[in-house]
Amino acid sequence: MSTLLEVSNVSMRFVMGGLFSRNHIDAVVDANFTLSAENPEIFTIIGESGSGKTTLARMILGLEKPTAGDILFEGKSAAERNTRAARLAFMRRVQPVFQNPFETFNPLKQVDRYLEATARSLLGARSKADVDAAMDDALQKVGLSLKEIAGRYAHELSGGQLQRVAIARALIPNPALLIADEPVSMVDASLRMSIVNLLKELRDTLKVSVIYITHDLATAYYISDRIIIMQKGHVVEMGPARTVLDTPEHPYSQLLKSSVLSIDAAGMGDLRPADRAMAEAAWSRAGQGALVARDDGRMVRTA
Amino acid sequence: MPSFILFAFKRFLQLAAVIFAGTSLAFVVAKLSPISPVETIIGRVTNRASMSPTAIQSLRETYTELFGLDIPLWQQYLNFWGRLFTGDFGPSLVAYPTPAIDLILLALPWTVGLLTVAVILTWIIGNLLGGLAGYYQNSRLLKAVGVVAIGIQPIPYYIVAFLMVIIFGYLWPVLPISGGFAMNVRPGFTPQFVLSILHHAILPASSLVLVGMGTWFFGMRALVSNIVTEDYVTYAELAGVEQRKIVSSYVMRNAIVPQLTALAMALGGIFSGTIITEQVFAYPGLGTLLIRAVNGGDTTLVLAVSCISVIAVATAIFIVDLLHPFLDPRVRVG
Repeated sequence: MSTLLEVSNVSMRFVMGGLFSRNHIDAVVDANFTLSAENPEIFTIIGESGSGKTTLARMILGLEKPTAGDILFEGKSAAERNTRAARLAFMRRVQPVFQNPFETFNPLKQVDRYLEATARSLLGARSKADVDAAMDDALQKVGLSLKEIAGRYAHELSGGQLQRVAIARALIPNPALLIADEPVSMVDASLRMSIVNLLKELRDTLKVSVIYITHDLATAYYISDRIIIMQKGHVVEMGPARTVLDTPEHPYSQLLKSSVLSIDAAGMGDLRPADRAMAEAAWSRAGQGALVARDDGRMVRTA
Repeated sequence: MPSFILFAFKRFLQLAAVIFAGTSLAFVVAKLSPISPVETIIGRVTNRASMSPTAIQSLRETYTELFGLDIPLWQQYLNFWGRLFTGDFGPSLVAYPTPAIDLILLALPWTVGLLTVAVILTWIIGNLLGGLAGYYQNSRLLKAVGVVAIGIQPIPYYIVAFLMVIIFGYLWPVLPISGGFAMNVRPGFTPQFVLSILHHAILPASSLVLVGMGTWFFGMRALVSNIVTEDYVTYAELAGVEQRKIVSSYVMRNAIVPQLTALAMALGGIFSGTIITEQVFAYPGLGTLLIRAVNGGDTTLVLAVSCISVIAVATAIFIVDLLHPFLDPRVRVG
């Protein structure tokens, strides 16, 4: 079994401030996981804002250099991809989908120009017909067509449509790994499921691995194969999604699960913040202890 | 597209209103001048020969009637508009009876030639360097340019101009420091004359570029450093777009829209002349003409120069507004 992505002992520390008041933030501390090349899966990273999810994604994409540890994609680190050709080869295999579809596209360019640029530089399509075919093919996969979006500007499309176009663009080079950073958080609730189902379909039919970053427990539950839960840069619990989410063991995981709003409870006027003792247990243990393996396949940070 | 024509028509009505208001205001301000053109001329005449008080009085009455100053102000105002529609600003009062427009047409090519080149050069250099400085934030060379620009920016323009005159006209006398062309060259379409004009324009033009560049530089640098952190730039990088193309067509292209608007307004401002530049470098042009007119109480000429600059600025803004939908697809017409 070969590995697609190997994240080993990765840490990221941001230093802030000047000469006299130096401060640092540990955005990611000692993260470890691997994705296999043979079994495409949806690997979910979940946690609150500022827990290091996006930093982790940016490091995998090679946009940030980790302070410590290695990220190997198909056996190569970002430092080894130092030529343009090597970087292009990497981008052919790994593609991102960003959180805010309205900021993903240049407001002064037609959105299909992004698809075209990707088809030309990553797929190597030369003729107009080849480029159009690649664009239409990718758009069909997300339930759109080139006819619908050709010549349209970002402000002329809805958030859901734009996010589909973003996914279509990412699919053009036939990547092995898609990094979706909160792809549904800015999309209308009614369209959310169509995007989530799309990710599921990509895994099942196109055999694309997806790193799905979210703070939404419900969609994570629905599509994830494996999950890691992050709190303040630390992985507090990781393992098979069902196992972890059915019976969360770490206090922070329990807090996350109990914080999911229930529509029924809201309808009865019964929305309460999580149990105080539970919240305190979660926060007092932030960043403490070491990951310990359990029999059911999960790893939990215990003191 | 009929909605665009409707939009253009509405904007044209606005343009007409602005020109009407601006010109009327210029009329009032010119008439408020405490310097009387009649007294200026009488002063000039009595300088050379002594005259009896009755002769002076009759001279005064003749000139007042000749200049049309004996009728009420509102009638003068109506006459002014009546003439303006035929493109006639009336005779210059100090250089009577030369038409004011003739004096302006004589001065205009100098001002417009010098300032168009200076404004466009300033804009290109400032925006290019500013854009690059915003994108390549770690470049030492571009940081140095920023330091120089921020150092020159607060110095008043006339000091920079005088320093350049001292440096290039006295300490290291390589450039002519006054006039539009050399005395010994006959005006005409000859290579010597053109070269002489270019030679004389170097110093005033480069003083304008040096001082004006900073504004564009800092504006563009701020715009670009905002844009490089946008998702769509990162996204273009991950889509494999070449860096050169990202700088030009994703970053600079988006930053340039407000800068183009400002450029058009700066170009409209050319017709007001640059009084200080023309004074420091003794350059013939609208600024010099305007000063002469104000000092002589030549209301017609002052009014003519102001009208032309009001019309030029308003028209420039009008043109920019019409072009905006083509520069930015998000601008809705209507």
